[in-house]
Amino acid sequence: MRQIPAYFLAQMKRAMRILPGQLAVNLAVCALAATFACLLIAQGVSEAGGARYRIGMVGDLSDSYLGFGIAALQDMDDSRFMIELVGMSEQEAENAFLRGDIYAIVRVPEGFLESIVYGENDRYVTYTATQGQKGLGTMVMGEITDIASTLVTSSQSAIYAMQRVLADQGRGEEIGRETDKLNLSLINLVLSRVEFGEVEVLGYADGLSLELYYICGMFLLFLLLSGLLNSALFVRKGTALPGFLKARGVGAFWQVTGEYLAYFCLVLTGFFCLCGFVFLGMEKGLVKVPEWEGMGATPFWGLLRALIPVAAMFAALQFFLYETAEGIVNGVLVQFICGIGMGYLSGYFYPSAFFPEKMRTVGEALPTGVAARFAQAGALGEIPAGAFAAVCGWLALFLVLSVAVRKGRMK
Amino acid sequence: MLVKFVLLQKRLLKKYGFLMMLCLAPLLAVGVGRLSKEPAGIAAIALYVPEGDETAKEVAGRLLQKESVFVYLPCEDEKAARKLVETGEADAAWIFPEDMEERIEELSEKRRVRPVVTVVERQDSVPLVLGREVLSAAIYPTFSYGVYEGYVRGELEMEDIPDETLRATYESVAVRGSLFRMVYPDEMPGETEDFTYVQAPLRGILAIWFTFVGLAAALYFMQDEERGVYSRVPAPKRLLASYGSAAVFLLDAAIVLLFSCKLAGVFTRWSRELVSCAVFAACVLAFANLLRLLCRTPRKLGMLFLPLGAVMLALCPVFLNLQHFRAGKLLLPPWYYLQSIHNTRYLYEMAVYTVILVLVSSVVWRVQSRRV
Repeated sequence: MRQIPAYFLAQMKRAMRILPGQLAVNLAVCALAATFACLLIAQGVSEAGGARYRIGMVGDLSDSYLGFGIAALQDMDDSRFMIELVGMSEQEAENAFLRGDIYAIVRVPEGFLESIVYGENDRYVTYTATQGQKGLGTMVMGEITDIASTLVTSSQSAIYAMQRVLADQGRGEEIGRETDKLNLSLINLVLSRVEFGEVEVLGYADGLSLELYYICGMFLLFLLLSGLLNSALFVRKGTALPGFLKARGVGAFWQVTGEYLAYFCLVLTGFFCLCGFVFLGMEKGLVKVPEWEGMGATPFWGLLRALIPVAAMFAALQFFLYETAEGIVNGVLVQFICGIGMGYLSGYFYPSAFFPEKMRTVGEALPTGVAARFAQAGALGEIPAGAFAAVCGWLALFLVLSVAVRKGRMK
Repeated sequence: MLVKFVLLQKRLLKKYGFLMMLCLAPLLAVGVGRLSKEPAGIAAIALYVPEGDETAKEVAGRLLQKESVFVYLPCEDEKAARKLVETGEADAAWIFPEDMEERIEELSEKRRVRPVVTVVERQDSVPLVLGREVLSAAIYPTFSYGVYEGYVRGELEMEDIPDETLRATYESVAVRGSLFRMVYPDEMPGETEDFTYVQAPLRGILAIWFTFVGLAAALYFMQDEERGVYSRVPAPKRLLASYGSAAVFLLDAAIVLLFSCKLAGVFTRWSRELVSCAVFAACVLAFANLLRLLCRTPRKLGMLFLPLGAVMLALCPVFLNLQHFRAGKLLLPPWYYLQSIHNTRYLYEMAVYTVILVLVSSVVWRVQSRRV
């Protein structure tokens, strides 16, 4: 039995050996994340006074109707707070798009206005909003263009119909004047279109504010992927040593316990490092959480306490994956795909509310989903017993499975 | 050479851990691909449409028949719609009035926009602002028809024209279809690719996973080198051996990558996929080998995984597409690969970047060999 504490100490020594390097990398990751965040915040601040999304308009924009339409969008429509339309040549637009200076290129084809005026509508305004395959942003842009198209074509239909009625009634000479009048009326109505809805905001908070949701997500993702950083602890893991240890009285259970505790200490070190950075950000006023305003650091420490059982569970998951994956190389790859895959399903990257119901159910049942619920409850200061039991259940399961795998390997 | 390649392949495929790692990627792809087929949206909207009102039904039809980033939950009455919002099952409720037809008629005659639909929201958010625009666009065709009708009867003083004639005239000139088309940089229309935003990040996840396979292969080679597996390979050929060893890993992973993209539903054309994947594999091979030479020990290389993974997740267009940090993006192979699917420019850039990486690796290797 005396060998058991000795084995644990030996594992701790191994962990301590890689600790300085691990600490340095943790600091680098945190510094990197902080730099990204600061640059994004700075960008947001600089854009706050002006337009948010610049869109390059390519093609012949000299037509008075089109020019009027663009001017109306820029000066009167609600969209002016989000979108800035900039006229450019094709080359300028492509270069700006490549540099990331504009969000999308909108191309107005030659004869587009004529095609609308004569009701042919056989020419399309094309837009390119992504270099690679479409994603959520492009799909949202598709929704916006559909709205714009409906507004234009419905107004156009009303005007053509009015013109046709006048022509049929033999009052063709009035068409020009009446078209201008109806056009102006419709433009006014389009500009005030959002008033169709009478908005009633109930003011129910959906659990967490976006800021707190992403702070929890960042901590969870960091803990989930820390297995990649701590891979050095699993270098040169053969099958001979476990057998030898068993002969000396350290069975599979104690081997796993000793190694797991050392590994958990490493994970915790990285976690505290990140906590330090976030705390610093909060002290400097760079990280603001609406739910915690005026409450000092107390809720932050509450979140940290809630995250420790989560860290223990993720450490057990990572330990189990390394144990199963047979070697560090496969271990790292399994860690990555499992971490990202489970994190994605459990809403670490997009809010899980964006997903289909079945996918949400799967995501919530996974260890990552259980951890998310637990941490989010912890951030609000109330952890339900069920969530705590679920975290402990997964933790115990991973440890038991690790022991089983180790036993199997020793055989 | 071929014999060595086959032997190494055999050695790898005998390891169940390696096979398990290869199986996880298609498993994730097929899982997400299947689950994403169900309705999903950036916001859930509870919809109450009164039975007897034709206008309300027409507007609701426009919302429900169109593919959208919103998911609609039809409700039997106003109370049920409000309850869904209160319980958090829906983000908002759109409650259409019982007399929607009359209200729209009245407003369109006066050519005024006033509240018609009651919008109940849990809290204001960007998706719900967009949602209100969608609602307005669904009401607008009915409203603009009313404006035309009112204009003809009121302003043009043609009160005798029957409703049917006005409707028939309108229908004969009505403009249908969208004026906008999404196109990729290679002129391919956006609608040719049929996948949802839930599936969209899968190619990016797989591309980063593939880069990790390259890095893991470099780690594997380092471990083998330490064990003396390559001790009989003459020093000048060691760099070539490292490329060969990693190529075996990447060949298997490339097959899995293509297969997984197909399963995930983000696959495009065979020719484009094969060429992009081949150049990407070469780029990852060179990238991982350069990092191996720079890190020199498995431990240092292993420690690079987390920061590199974080940088790739942030800068490559997987979950978000940041407009800035281009200099950082240019260093990452997955960034080129993800852009190259619809833009050959990036394919060439990726090839040039690969050549640069190989040249830099050769220089680093020569410098290191001289020191030894």
